[in-house]
Amino acid sequence: MKQGTGLRIYAVAYLIFLYLPVALLPIFAFNDGTVIAFPLQGFTTKWFVELLSIEALHGAVRNSLFVAITTAILSTIFGIFAARASSRYRFPLKGGILGLIMVPLVLPEIIVGVALLVMVVSLMGLSLSLWTVVLGHTLICTPFAVAILSASFNGLDRSLEEAAIDLGETAMGAFFKVTLPLVTPGIVSALLISFTISLDEFIIAFFLTGSEPTLPVYLWGQLRFPQRIPVVMALGTILVILSLVLLTVAEFFRRRGVRRTGAKDTGGFL
Amino acid sequence: MKDPLIVLDQVQKYYDDYHALRGISCEIGKGEFFSLLGPSGCGKTTLLRTIAGFEDVSSGRVLIGGRDMADVPANLRPTNMVFQSYAIFPHLDVAGNVGFGLRKRGDLSADQKKAKVIEALEMVGLAGYGKRPAHALSGGQRQRVALARALVLEPEVLLLDEPLSALDKKMREQMQTELRRLQRHVGITFILVTHDQEEALIMSDRIAVMFEGEIAQLAAPQTLYRRPASRKVAEFIGVMNFLSATSTVSGDTVALDIAGLGKVTLSAEQCPGGAPSGAAVAGLRPETLSVVIDDASATPSHSVTGKVVEVVYYGDMTYYEVALDGAQKPVTISMKNLPGRRVLEIGDTAKVAWDPSALVIFAA
Ligand SMILES: Nc1ncnc2c1ncn2[C@@H]1O[C@H](COP(=O)(O)OP(=O)(O)OP(=O)(O)O)[C@@H](O)[C@H]1O
Ligand SMILES: [Mg+2]
Repeated sequence: MKQGTGLRIYAVAYLIFLYLPVALLPIFAFNDGTVIAFPLQGFTTKWFVELLSIEALHGAVRNSLFVAITTAILSTIFGIFAARASSRYRFPLKGGILGLIMVPLVLPEIIVGVALLVMVVSLMGLSLSLWTVVLGHTLICTPFAVAILSASFNGLDRSLEEAAIDLGETAMGAFFKVTLPLVTPGIVSALLISFTISLDEFIIAFFLTGSEPTLPVYLWGQLRFPQRIPVVMALGTILVILSLVLLTVAEFFRRRGVRRTGAKDTGGFL
Repeated sequence: MKDPLIVLDQVQKYYDDYHALRGISCEIGKGEFFSLLGPSGCGKTTLLRTIAGFEDVSSGRVLIGGRDMADVPANLRPTNMVFQSYAIFPHLDVAGNVGFGLRKRGDLSADQKKAKVIEALEMVGLAGYGKRPAHALSGGQRQRVALARALVLEPEVLLLDEPLSALDKKMREQMQTELRRLQRHVGITFILVTHDQEEALIMSDRIAVMFEGEIAQLAAPQTLYRRPASRKVAEFIGVMNFLSATSTVSGDTVALDIAGLGKVTLSAEQCPGGAPSGAAVAGLRPETLSVVIDDASATPSHSVTGKVVEVVYYGDMTYYEVALDGAQKPVTISMKNLPGRRVLEIGDTAKVAWDPSALVIFAA
């Protein structure tokens, strides 16, 4: 027997377990029948056509896009600040502060959701809206942005900015003319990742949405109606493809950034 | 010095508790090629960055052209720097890099700027490379781009932090002469940081040898080599034989009894660190000693005998280790391999000629 066969079988089994459920989505999205069961009933695209006619769904898509875009921009801006500070400066409690920024990465989302709900509604007296969802999503997306952007900033030779200053630029000018163009791939990557995470996120959105649901929250609501399930499958298919495309593009930019600054690739999220 | 361009006055620098510069004072002239030479960690880069304005001094003053630089930020100082890593902007091509500092110059038209970039590239031997992207440059070319980028701004002072250390030996030697020629041509003051003593000797008008945040000696290359002020400087620059001696000072002369060489009387000038009384060390460069090979009957004014204990043949030169009668350690002697000159072998007896005027005396 060849060496490593056992491990190879394990790897294949693992991948099947991970992706089989996802693979079922498009299968039933194109299945001509309301019951999610085998045998398949025949090919149809009517569930996709039906998507177009659901008004509430369109509202949810708009809400989700608003939340995801706003979250992506905010997280990336915060990420730029934190990543630049961590790569350039030494300051007291640096390790602790950066650690705290990264904590939401490992906190259970349900805890974050409940905690934010209590804070926003009971303590601050605000009413729930899309902005409260943005708040929650920015909290969980910022660590990702920081991680991606830290790699970009750390890959930069710090004498580049000094060289720009030496050649007459102010510190601000050096940042905009040298640093920013060089970390742009990282910024694009951070924007796309944050956008994707926010678009797919359910638990925090579920706690913090008011009367306007985001797409995942809307979908969850639809699961109560069995006749809606094939439509949900169709929508899920679109979302999975969109996420894959966005993540691939993000990784492309991240790698390009690494190459451009001549740094060694220390691995990203993909 | 009359009208120095740069004056460093008791410059001190602390990094937290670490005392990196310990009272540096010196003057650097206009058009001078000045080198900071010293071992790793002695504060050369720190001093250079202090002049450039990237580090604040903890105390003391830096004056350029008579003006105190305390409140002048790096971007407004009349200095430009060639960084050790070259810091070529990766997102710009060669012309973009060289023209970077010109972008803000409102007094120049776009055509004038272009012409200046072309001229600067010609000066460093990169004519026609303007469109080359930064990542497609070799180490030597990057170095030239960094040089052109700084020189195009016609600074009063060009600061170079080990600009040649990343190049291979051959390229480095070529750039050393080229850099020196360029400096004479543009007439700008160059301050070069290096830990390579040969490089400093080849290129500089004057060299400041630094140890642990202090200038140990500031002198022209020849003085530094022939009359090092301390044993430490002598050891850092080239090779020197040290023989123990006893010295008696009387007025302007020093009477010495040197182990292996014998008694000799020298002028106090040969003690650049001050004439020591009692125990002393006599220093001799390997090339000031010679083994009398061809003509055994020759009688040089000063000679001693010894035994060859090691022979290293370099082609153009032969290095001998000779144990002199009466000395504790063998001395190193370098001899040119002239045509027909025999190379001695280990165990041979050698007659060693020496020159009292080449001696340098240090306190023990
Ligand atoms: N930003 C800093 N913070 C703390 N210590 C520093 C800093 N920069 C330099 N030092 C210390 O100051 C001393 C002098 O450093 P410097 O870079 O000037 O040395 P150098 O002579 O240029 O050495 P090399 O030849 O290795 O480049 C070193 O011991 C270094 O560790
Ligand atoms: Mg250095």
